[in-house]
Amino acid sequence: MDKSPHSLTGRRPAPHWLAHLRLALHYGDRPWSALTIGMALLTILLMLSIGLLLWGDSSQARAAFGLSFLKPTSDASWNPVSGNFQAWPFIYGTLATSLMSLVLAVPISLGVAIFLAELCPTWLRMPLGWLFELLAAIPSVVYGLWGIFVFLPTVVEPMGNFLASTLGELPMLTLFFHGPMPASGSSLLAAGLVLSIMITPTIAAITRDVFLAVPLTQREASLALGATSWETIWKVLLPYGMSGILGAVILGLGRALGETMAVTMVVGNSIGGSLSLMRPGYTMSSIIANEFAEAVTVLHSQALIEIALVLFIMTLLLNILARLLVWRVGRGIPQEARA
Amino acid sequence: MANKPVFTNMETFMTEEKQRAPLTLQLDMASKPGESQPDRGYKIEFHDFSFYYGKFKALGKINMQIPRNQITAIIGPSGCGKSTLLRSINRMNDLVPNVRMEGQIILNGENIIGTSVDVVDVRRRVGMVFQRPNPFPKSIYDNVAYGPRLYGISHRLGLDEIVYSALRQTALWDEVKDKLHQSAMALSGGQQQRLCIARALAVEPEVILMDEPASALDPVATLKIEELMQTLKETYTIIIVTHNMQQAARVSDFTAFMMIDNPQTRTGVMVEYGLTTRIFTNPKNKQTEDYVTGRFG
Amino acid sequence: MTTGTNLWLGVSTRQMIQSKAGYRRRKLSNIFMLAITGLFTLLALIPLFWIIGYVIYKGGQYINLDFFIHLPRPLGITGGGVLNAIEGTLLLTILAGLFAVPPGILAAYYVSYKPNTLLGIVVRFGTDVLSGVPSIVIGLFCYALIVKNQGHYSALAGGIALAILMLPTIIRTTEEMIKLVPHSLREGSLALGSPEWKTALSVTLPAASQGIITGILLGIARASGETAPLLFTALGNDNYNVGKIIQAGIGNHQNIFTILGMIINQPVDSLPLTLWKYAQQPYPERINQSWAAALVLMILVLSLNILTRVWVQLRANRIHGK
Repeated sequence: MDKSPHSLTGRRPAPHWLAHLRLALHYGDRPWSALTIGMALLTILLMLSIGLLLWGDSSQARAAFGLSFLKPTSDASWNPVSGNFQAWPFIYGTLATSLMSLVLAVPISLGVAIFLAELCPTWLRMPLGWLFELLAAIPSVVYGLWGIFVFLPTVVEPMGNFLASTLGELPMLTLFFHGPMPASGSSLLAAGLVLSIMITPTIAAITRDVFLAVPLTQREASLALGATSWETIWKVLLPYGMSGILGAVILGLGRALGETMAVTMVVGNSIGGSLSLMRPGYTMSSIIANEFAEAVTVLHSQALIEIALVLFIMTLLLNILARLLVWRVGRGIPQEARA
Repeated sequence: MANKPVFTNMETFMTEEKQRAPLTLQLDMASKPGESQPDRGYKIEFHDFSFYYGKFKALGKINMQIPRNQITAIIGPSGCGKSTLLRSINRMNDLVPNVRMEGQIILNGENIIGTSVDVVDVRRRVGMVFQRPNPFPKSIYDNVAYGPRLYGISHRLGLDEIVYSALRQTALWDEVKDKLHQSAMALSGGQQQRLCIARALAVEPEVILMDEPASALDPVATLKIEELMQTLKETYTIIIVTHNMQQAARVSDFTAFMMIDNPQTRTGVMVEYGLTTRIFTNPKNKQTEDYVTGRFG
Repeated sequence: MTTGTNLWLGVSTRQMIQSKAGYRRRKLSNIFMLAITGLFTLLALIPLFWIIGYVIYKGGQYINLDFFIHLPRPLGITGGGVLNAIEGTLLLTILAGLFAVPPGILAAYYVSYKPNTLLGIVVRFGTDVLSGVPSIVIGLFCYALIVKNQGHYSALAGGIALAILMLPTIIRTTEEMIKLVPHSLREGSLALGSPEWKTALSVTLPAASQGIITGILLGIARASGETAPLLFTALGNDNYNVGKIIQAGIGNHQNIFTILGMIINQPVDSLPLTLWKYAQQPYPERINQSWAAALVLMILVLSLNILTRVWVQLRANRIHGK
């Protein structure tokens, strides 16, 4: 029959119109693929462009100052008028506040994670977890506002005065703890404390997931030997999950480094020349936030961009390190660096 | 002595056994639940022991005695509660939420069920080896030393000797003596299981519970474990749960056979208990006979 | 009690293991440390209630209808509101969603189906890294890219900055949600002859849609609370009023595109930006408005969060037949 596809004459029959349509629809596959691949490339492109842009737009500053921009120096100056810029006070401020926040946040987050993973009754687990997510969802400026008007007068200022009068008098520690604490409480200590509150949910959530991922058999083995719950947690679960916990801490550190608004509102924003935690200070993100919009000279803006470059590299390296340690613990939506 | 047989559901006549077998155990004394018992040579006794997971009654009124320095095997079809029974002895079932226990489990004269019992102490005295070897991801030495270290035993106080002794008892010493500080995870499955046994021995238990200890191992490793059990029983009382009847017949001195009472309630009960040789050659209960001859299960 | 333990060397070790004093110490330190973890949990949660409580207390005192429908008044004149900021927040959020969601979903689609190709690995890694970049750096990036080239601050630049912030979240959630769609669904559609793109749009993505929407909502919640990226992009604008722009546009007979352009090409304010600016000014009126703005912002952000969590829970309950 002529309609049969296997015609004896050897000629190929005319394709059915449906086949044409199918072919046309299938052509949609190529643009689709291209689209998805293109968008995937966009992410990488973004990351590279950020790095390149920061590098490029700080070229003048880098040429002018070289590495001495970053050197610790006791008479650091930041003078937009004379064009003399040194980043050390800000680097110190960022490092000091972030490390301070870690010192406080790590033990507390560990305790929270242990409680949530091991001790909490099942019905309480989800609600508590939600509460910590809410804590992480509070915008940074609100932390700052509460910080300035509530937390600093109530907690930080008395605490600072106390520390200044005790630790600040000891010969070794006076460098870091001498007063006087400003009346407002704005200081590196304030920023460190607020930061520790802000990064605790991040570290606690990841650490809790790490604990939950330890196999039950490890717990059973330890308990069957006559160990108490705490001994099991401390000597078996913690070492087992150590790399994940370290990753969580590094992620928390990364967040603390990049935090801008809350820190700027409570840190005092002054380059005092003192290393003391009780005195006002300045961080890298704060100086950028405060001065960039009004920077007049090109050198000034470029110096600020160079600081952003340093910040970018620091958080980049930390993030890479953390991800190598905690490659996708399988959480829902992790907390990222916010301002 | 009065020779009244004592086990639930089925009558088992141990007096005949006593005359035939050269054992010195007094297994045939009457007992009523709740009576405080003099130490009659049993290591563990169950008095009307029932176990509930929430509403579900997993074990129903188990009455049994475990003689000391013998290997007792608990056999039965899957789902009859053997593991639950075993894990009750060292209170591992406490890890499961919503469990309830009734009756008594007497270890050396004290009841170990009950809220005033020191669970940590019970777990030390009753060691456990699990179905899959579960060594810690630490060194071989640190695995064995884990238990003693909890009690503050350090190198100065003889930790090395304890580790040596435990590894010798499990016939592992010669194989690992040169790599004590390497990771335990590098050992073979059979070696890991023997390491887990050594780890349990290091805290001086009185009883060793084994929950299908060789089911994840190859035949050669299984044989080693079975030989090990014969050596260990001189020092410890061993209770093993196994679904492998041949293993139970090979290895154990006493066998306890459990089953589900009926398909609706699915409560596990102790059907028959006695010397292994008798259970397998001349069981008193039809269900036991059907099981050991392989007609079901 | 212990039988046959004559293998152990030294009575002292056996005594150590059996000593009652040792036990008491271990049990005490067990209870002590476990209590500390509970204490730490409470401690960590105190700021949550403190902040929320205070914001409600202070913000509630100064919030009124004026706050929502008026533009800011000059200092010294009471009243006025933050209409500009509210409109700005809405606009920026919409722009951010428009810029982040389509690329995010598409990229996530690729990554979830080809996770082990070089591109897939690099993109997943890159997303994680991008999520760690400080938001102020992203703001600077958008400044250099858009504001400098356009010559002025704009909502567009701000929206793009927020979109970059949202992107990693959306990619990650979408990827995980797509992975949860059973393979059989996709394969069934393909087996019926449906091309890849049609399968994606009509089968896979709709199946994952609820989870994707959750991710988008959470991304929006985060983006609406951000300030730093807006400092150099949207900048702030006391007189921003969409209604007026539209009215003026219609009055001048401008077409829809010009009007849209007017809307997005101006600097805008947002709630967090306003909060930031007002909190630094030494006028009580402004400080009060800061608190009120904080209250509005918190309500927005927290209710988005709570809503998504509740929705996820309800969905899970429905699936498990509760």
